[in-house]
Amino acid sequence: MAFSFYHGAVQALCLLICAPLIAGIVNKTKAFLQKRQGASIFQEYFDLWKWWRKPVFVTKYTSWVFLAAPIVYLVTSIMAAMMLPGLLQGNIRFGDAFVFVYVLALGRFFMTLGSLDSATAFGGMGGSREIYISVLVEPAVMLAVLLNASRYGSTMLSQMVIDYNAFYFTVPAVLGSVAFFLVMLAENSRLPVDNPDTHLELTMIHECMTLEYSGRLLSYIHLGSMLKMLSFFVLFGALYLPLPLPMVVKVLMTALLVGLVEILNNKMRLFKVRVYLAAAVIMLAVAIIAQ
Amino acid sequence: MESFMGALGLYGLGTLALIWPKRLELAAHYVSMGLAVIASLMVLGLASQELLGLAGGGMLQFGRYSLVIDGWAAAFLVIIGLSGTAVSLYGMGYGRGYLGARIRQLTGLWNLFLGSMVLVVLAGDAFTFILAWEVMALVSFLLVNHESEKKQVVSAAYQYMVMTHLGTAAILMAFYLLGSGAESFAFADLAHSELPPVLKHIAFGCAFAGFALKSGLMPLHVWLPNAHPAAPSHVSALMSGVMLKVAVYGFGRFVFEFIGADVFAYGLIVMVVGLVSAFLGVLYASMEKDMKRILAYSSVENMGIIFAAFGCGMILVALDRPYLSVVAFTAVLVHSFAHSLMKCLLFMSAGAVMHATGTRNVELLGGLLKKMPWTAAFTLVGSMSLASLPFTGGLVGEWLTLQGMMTLAYESGTPELRLLVIFAFILLGLTGALALGCFVRLYGVTFLGRRRSNLVLKAHEMPFTMLAGMGLEALAILAMGIMPAPVVNLMRHVLVTSPLAIPAGDVIGLWWNGGQSESVFNPLLILLAALVLVALLLMTISSDKIIVHQDVTWNCGTEPTRRQQYTATGFSKPLRRAFDFILKPRRERVFLQRDHAYFGRKLHYNLLIPDQFTDRLYRPVEHIMVKLADTLRIVQQGSVRLYIGYTMIAMVIVLIWGGL
Repeated sequence: MAFSFYHGAVQALCLLICAPLIAGIVNKTKAFLQKRQGASIFQEYFDLWKWWRKPVFVTKYTSWVFLAAPIVYLVTSIMAAMMLPGLLQGNIRFGDAFVFVYVLALGRFFMTLGSLDSATAFGGMGGSREIYISVLVEPAVMLAVLLNASRYGSTMLSQMVIDYNAFYFTVPAVLGSVAFFLVMLAENSRLPVDNPDTHLELTMIHECMTLEYSGRLLSYIHLGSMLKMLSFFVLFGALYLPLPLPMVVKVLMTALLVGLVEILNNKMRLFKVRVYLAAAVIMLAVAIIAQ
Repeated sequence: MESFMGALGLYGLGTLALIWPKRLELAAHYVSMGLAVIASLMVLGLASQELLGLAGGGMLQFGRYSLVIDGWAAAFLVIIGLSGTAVSLYGMGYGRGYLGARIRQLTGLWNLFLGSMVLVVLAGDAFTFILAWEVMALVSFLLVNHESEKKQVVSAAYQYMVMTHLGTAAILMAFYLLGSGAESFAFADLAHSELPPVLKHIAFGCAFAGFALKSGLMPLHVWLPNAHPAAPSHVSALMSGVMLKVAVYGFGRFVFEFIGADVFAYGLIVMVVGLVSAFLGVLYASMEKDMKRILAYSSVENMGIIFAAFGCGMILVALDRPYLSVVAFTAVLVHSFAHSLMKCLLFMSAGAVMHATGTRNVELLGGLLKKMPWTAAFTLVGSMSLASLPFTGGLVGEWLTLQGMMTLAYESGTPELRLLVIFAFILLGLTGALALGCFVRLYGVTFLGRRRSNLVLKAHEMPFTMLAGMGLEALAILAMGIMPAPVVNLMRHVLVTSPLAIPAGDVIGLWWNGGQSESVFNPLLILLAALVLVALLLMTISSDKIIVHQDVTWNCGTEPTRRQQYTATGFSKPLRRAFDFILKPRRERVFLQRDHAYFGRKLHYNLLIPDQFTDRLYRPVEHIMVKLADTLRIVQQGSVRLYIGYTMIAMVIVLIWGGL
């Protein structure tokens, strides 16, 4: 047990260091496809360093929950990254799929509380929408777990890794990977569900919740969400993408694909997200029955 | 077994508070609440001994009545004992609010209520069971009706009384049917009851309806969101946290011992009813504004999860894979235990908030964390647990339920069952996420941000006894969430050793094992790593240079008002819109002043979210009943000659029938 725990910690550290780079690659892809110069792929590191050095402004309305929320969010992202399968040798034995989902939910719980604690309309709006999206995403997430767990007979993430030989472009594998891709975009506040680039529009969700955070705490939130996105990329590559490629290639491919999808889509109206996620649910249900 | 009589005796002594002289009513309250604490502790200790296998069962016979204890009963006695202790401790302080308002009755009946629940679980035959069940129902009715000056309370209490007696009637019917096929009404004999299939189906239907009504499953839940908020808060805690579990106990007794789960349809019905209750319960909970109604609907949700797991286990038994049903049945016990802890805790904190501010409406609260830091901390633990987050007891039960469903999907790979599991996962996924939203909303609006009315100004921290009661439950939730193995192993032990005797084998290795490998849930390890990281990160923001305190939130140069923060109604608006095809919300606009045609009119918006079951199911039934009664009036013309005529006709019929 202790040995696999050590593997998990090393893995989380590696992912933590790489996470801003992957986010930079997604941004660079978008810039390239829009014929812009774009920021360097290392820009996210500079941003994090900038926020890290700045002080945190806290209003008198808030309580300790406001300060604790970003820390809990970052820590839950790291815990989730520790549970991922497949990067290092060694079977990570505490990575259960349901625990993975609920550990991320713990981070969301605290971020939403933090948004309500600042006593502004923006915070509450972001929190309210975050909960709305998460309610719609959750059935699809559960079915995505069920798809692989009912195939391999375990909910351990390390047991659920896709077997290329058996599922090379079969119907369940393709449907599962497309559906998980849709879920991944919604879970990580990407277009077409949420727009990660805007900071002023009423359309935003995740950015809206974090509006009152500044300085070092903001850097924790950004690092946490970048790590969460990379964790989902790894999960997508390991569990759902039916291609026999090394993990690094898969993650880079996913990053390019996310960039491409983001420039091809507009943000969806908030109440259209229902239909978008219902599509994911139906695809997963068909995949589960078909296998 | 004999020692339980001691605990029952103490409850009996506590009930004597009813007849203490009025000028000693405060003393009566303390003495009898103290007795309740001691008796509950005794029940807890004795039941744990029984669970650990140190006591070895036993039976007591008093003429026709008998008391028996086995593993299944002991598991539920642990729930009653633990929550009974904590809530009685809290009740010591909270009950003082009823000084001069029939406090002796409240405290005396409290003891009787606890005692009757212990007696239901210990009952060894149908007579004792029904007797204790009926005492439990009547005493809880009296406790709900305690603040009978309020019209709302009285109507809620009578609704509860009518509904609960319908349930008792159904259970009585089930016992009668079973007894007709057995030698006596002792549980041991009922277990060998031989019934033709049709009667067996009817008996199962009656038992399920009766116990589902008591545990508030939809569509029989309508009394629950009215009755639980109407009672004094510590009574609500006991009703939601403990009495609902007594219904689970009774249903388990019927399924495991008397009727059996060998018919596939039984499990299917229980599972589907449970899943639908879970989803709809939490959906209504996320729309309510009254703290205690939110909690009451959330009880419907959690009972739904418990019965869904129960149904899943029953299906596995019916499919001839009883050794696999252990996970699901363990989930039933573990989630019952966890839900009892967290629901008692949250009802206690709702009581504390009410005690401090005088309102249960979350729209009038806000910023309470600064006024009552300890209550807020305990409530946070309870809210996290009800949102089934890691490191709390809530996740343990939820995790086992999901694993039980997974077993069903994996081990019996027909497409129909897969479809059932897909349905279950969709609903459980929605339920889990909605529960998170519901308790973020409850906690955030009540304890965080700024006050929404001046009622918050007079809020203060609770006295020690109340904090102790809440703290005990919060501690138990955390302990169970961080080290679930002891609780889960005890509960699994129940299923393997008691008369249920489910052949467990090595199905659960460390936690769950299906196919080739086991799945491990070890929160302790994750927690340790997480705590180290949290401490490190906290250090980085601990200096004054990093945290700069600012006066007010930036609001484009103006001072933000308190009304600019989100309300609970606003928070749940997107969900209300997404699920409007189920909720059917109605908006009423009321014009208060009509002097101007176009401006200066005062408008009031009322948002109504009626319980669809009340409107669509109960109202029509009520309508038909009244109609029927109206038609029957034709025979009652009030003339004596007519009545004599009826009697004569009846006599003639009887004579003819007798002669045949």
